[in-house]
Amino acid sequence: MLLAFGNFTADPSVNLQLLIGGLALGAIYAVVALGFVLVYKSTDVLNLAHGEFLMLGAYFALTFLISENLNFFLGVFVLLLVMLVFGLLVHYGIMRRMVGQGFFAIVLITLGIATIIRALLLIFYGPTERARLDLLPQGSFEVGGATVRYVDLIIFGVVAACVLLFFLFFKYTRLGLHMRAVADDIEAAAAMGIDPDKVYAMTWAAAMVMAGVGGLLFGHVTGAIDRSIEAIGLRAFPAAVVGGLTSLGGSIVGGLVVGVIEQFANGHLGTKWREPVAFSVMFVVLLVRPTGLWGRKDLERV
Amino acid sequence: MTAVENPAPQQDSTTYRPSPVQRLLPFAIAAVVPFILGATTENVNFWWKALITVVVLAVVARMAWVWTPRGELTHREDMRLWRTPSDRSWAAVTVFGLLVLPFILASDFTPPMDFPWATWFAVVNLVLIFAMGAAAFNLLVGYSGQISLAHVAFLALGSIVGGIVGVQWSGGNMWVALPAAALAGAVVGAISGLPALRLKHLYLLLATFGFHFVMMLVWREYLQEYFGFVGIRFKGENSPRIASWLHWLPGIDPDDNGEFIITGQFRWYWVLMPITVLSILFMVNVVRTREGRAFAAVRDRDVSASLLGINVARSKLLAFALSSAVVSMSGVLASFYIGSRGEDSFNVQTVLNYAIIIVVGGFSSIQGAIFGSAFFWFLPEWFKWAREELWIVRDIDFLSDYPSEIDLAIKGFLVVIILMFKPDGLAGLWKDVKGWIGRSLARRGP
Repeated sequence: MLLAFGNFTADPSVNLQLLIGGLALGAIYAVVALGFVLVYKSTDVLNLAHGEFLMLGAYFALTFLISENLNFFLGVFVLLLVMLVFGLLVHYGIMRRMVGQGFFAIVLITLGIATIIRALLLIFYGPTERARLDLLPQGSFEVGGATVRYVDLIIFGVVAACVLLFFLFFKYTRLGLHMRAVADDIEAAAAMGIDPDKVYAMTWAAAMVMAGVGGLLFGHVTGAIDRSIEAIGLRAFPAAVVGGLTSLGGSIVGGLVVGVIEQFANGHLGTKWREPVAFSVMFVVLLVRPTGLWGRKDLERV
Repeated sequence: MTAVENPAPQQDSTTYRPSPVQRLLPFAIAAVVPFILGATTENVNFWWKALITVVVLAVVARMAWVWTPRGELTHREDMRLWRTPSDRSWAAVTVFGLLVLPFILASDFTPPMDFPWATWFAVVNLVLIFAMGAAAFNLLVGYSGQISLAHVAFLALGSIVGGIVGVQWSGGNMWVALPAAALAGAVVGAISGLPALRLKHLYLLLATFGFHFVMMLVWREYLQEYFGFVGIRFKGENSPRIASWLHWLPGIDPDDNGEFIITGQFRWYWVLMPITVLSILFMVNVVRTREGRAFAAVRDRDVSASLLGINVARSKLLAFALSSAVVSMSGVLASFYIGSRGEDSFNVQTVLNYAIIIVVGGFSSIQGAIFGSAFFWFLPEWFKWAREELWIVRDIDFLSDYPSEIDLAIKGFLVVIILMFKPDGLAGLWKDVKGWIGRSLARRGP
C-alpha cells in the first residue's frame, strides 16, 4: 500500500499526553492566529508574512533578553516597542500604498515583505541556530501520568489575556470602535471623520506587537531558534481559518481544535501527516461553513 | 430622429492586402537563416556572423512590418494573433532570435570582461521550463482569477508521473511521460479546482494550499516506497533519447553507441524550446477563444457571467485543468532536465519563487511569465558576475560575504517595489518602451 499508517494505541496516558501536547500547540497557534485575525478583521489583508514577523520577534527577544541581558520586563517592553515601530514602518512604508489594490496583489506584497525579512535576518543573524529562550519557568508537573510544562500554562494564560484585552478594546474603546467601523465600510467611516490611515497603522502596529509576544512565547517551546521557525505562520493558517478569520475568540477555539487534532495525527499516524491532516480539517470546515466557524459572512451584490 | 452622419469607410489607397507569400516570407527567412549560419562553422569569423545576424534581423522585421494588411480589416484579420505591423515584426524577430540563440551560446566566442557566456545556456534552458509553468500559473491566477497556491503540487505530480511512466515503466521515455503527465494534470487539476466552485479569493487560496500539503505527502510516500532517500534519477540510463527509427531526421547524428541521448545544453534547447513555445502559443490562443473569454467573464464577476449563459462551474474547472496540465508537463521536463528529484525538491519556497516570477514579469499577462522567469534566473547570474568582476562592486566585501542572502533580499525588494509602483511589471515596462520607440519613430516621419 502506498500510504503506510502508523500504529493506533489505546493507552490512556499516551492519549492524555497527546491531548495536553495538542492543547499546548493549540495555544501557540492561537497566538499566531490572533495576529492574522487582527490584520484581516480591520484591513482585509491576508498577511502571509506573519510567520516572519514572529521570527523577527523571536530574534529580537534573543538580542534584547539574552545578548543584551536586560531585565525581563524592561527587555519585553523594549521588544514590543521595537515591534510596534516596525509595524508602523510596514504600514507607512508599504501597505499604505496598497489600499484598494486587488486581493492577490496584496497577498503577494506580504510575501515580498516576508522574503525581505527572511533575507535580512539571515544577513544579520547568520544561518546558525541558537538555543531556545529559557526565561520563563522551565519545570513541569505530572497529571495522571502525563507531564504538563509550566511554559505551556503561561502561554495559555497570555493568549487568553490577549483575547480578552482585544475583545474589550474593540468593544469599549474609541479606537476599537474606529477599527470596527473601518473594517465594516471604509468609505462610510472616512465620511464620518475617521482617519482610515491612522486606524490601519494602529492595526499593523498591534499585529506586530502580537507577533512580538508570539515570538517571545514560541521561542520558549521551539526546538531551537533558526530560520525555520517562520513555518509556524503557515502551520497556524488552519487554526485561524477554522475559527473564522474575523473572530478573536474563534482564533483561540480554532487554535486548540487544530492543535489537538494535529497532535493526535502526529502521535498516531506519524509526523508527515501533521500538515495534510490540519489542512484537511480546514478544508472540510471551509466546505461546510465557507467563512469558518465564527467568521463574518459577506453578501455579494451583482 | 436626426440622422447622424457617419464617415463612409475608406476604400482607397490606405487599404492594403499582401499576398500569402508576402505574409509568410519574413517568417520563412527568419526560420532558415539561423540554420545556415549555424551550419557554417568554419572559415567565417564570429563578427561576420554577428553582422549578418543583425542585418537579417532588420530585414525580417522590416518585411513583416511592411507586408501587414492595413486599412479596413475584416473580422478574421482583426482576430489574428499578430494583428498590427509591430506585433508581426516582433514575432518574426522572436522566431529568428529563438533559432539563432543556441548557435550563439554554443559558439566558443569569449565575450568581453569574462561575462559568463557558457553558463548562460543552462540558464536559458531553465528559463524555458519556468516560463512554461509560470505562464500556466498566470493563465489560472491572473487571467481566470482563480487564486491557487497548488502550483508546486503539480510540478510534483509531473515528477511522479515522470517517475512512474518515464522511469519505472519505460526506462527513460520522456515522450510518453509528457502526454501522460498532461492527462494526469488535467484530471487532478479539475479535482483540485472543485473547491473553487464554492470558495473564493482568500479561502480558495487556503484550500489549494492544503492541496499542496496533501500532494507533498503523496510525493514523499511515493519516493520512499520505490526510490528511498536518494530520490529519482532521471539521468544516466534514464535520460530521454530519440528512437532509432527517427534517426533519419535532419540534424540528428547518433553517438558512437548508435543512440541519440538528449544531454547537454544544446540538445536540450531543441527539445525545450519548441515545447515551451507551442504551449505558450496554445495558452495565448485559449485566451482568444470562447472558453478563454468565459474565463475572463467569470473572473470579473461570476454571477453576471452565469446570467450571460456561461457555465461557471465548467469554466472554472476547465481553467484549473488546462493550467494544471501544462504545469505538470513542465514538471516532467524539469525533472528530466535537472536529472534528479529528491525529497526536498519541492517546498514552500518554490511556491514563492513562482509568485515572484509572475509579479516581476507582470501580473495577468502571459508574456509577463517569460520576462519574469528570465529575470528570475538571469539576476543571480548577473549578480554573481558583478560581485566577482564588476569594477567597484567586486571590492565590497559585504556583497561577496552574503551572496545568496542579498539575492533573496533584492528579489523581495523588487516584488514590493514593483507591486507598489508598477503593478503590471516588466511586461508593462516593455509595453511602455515599445510605445515610446513607436512614438519617437512616428515623430520623425514626414
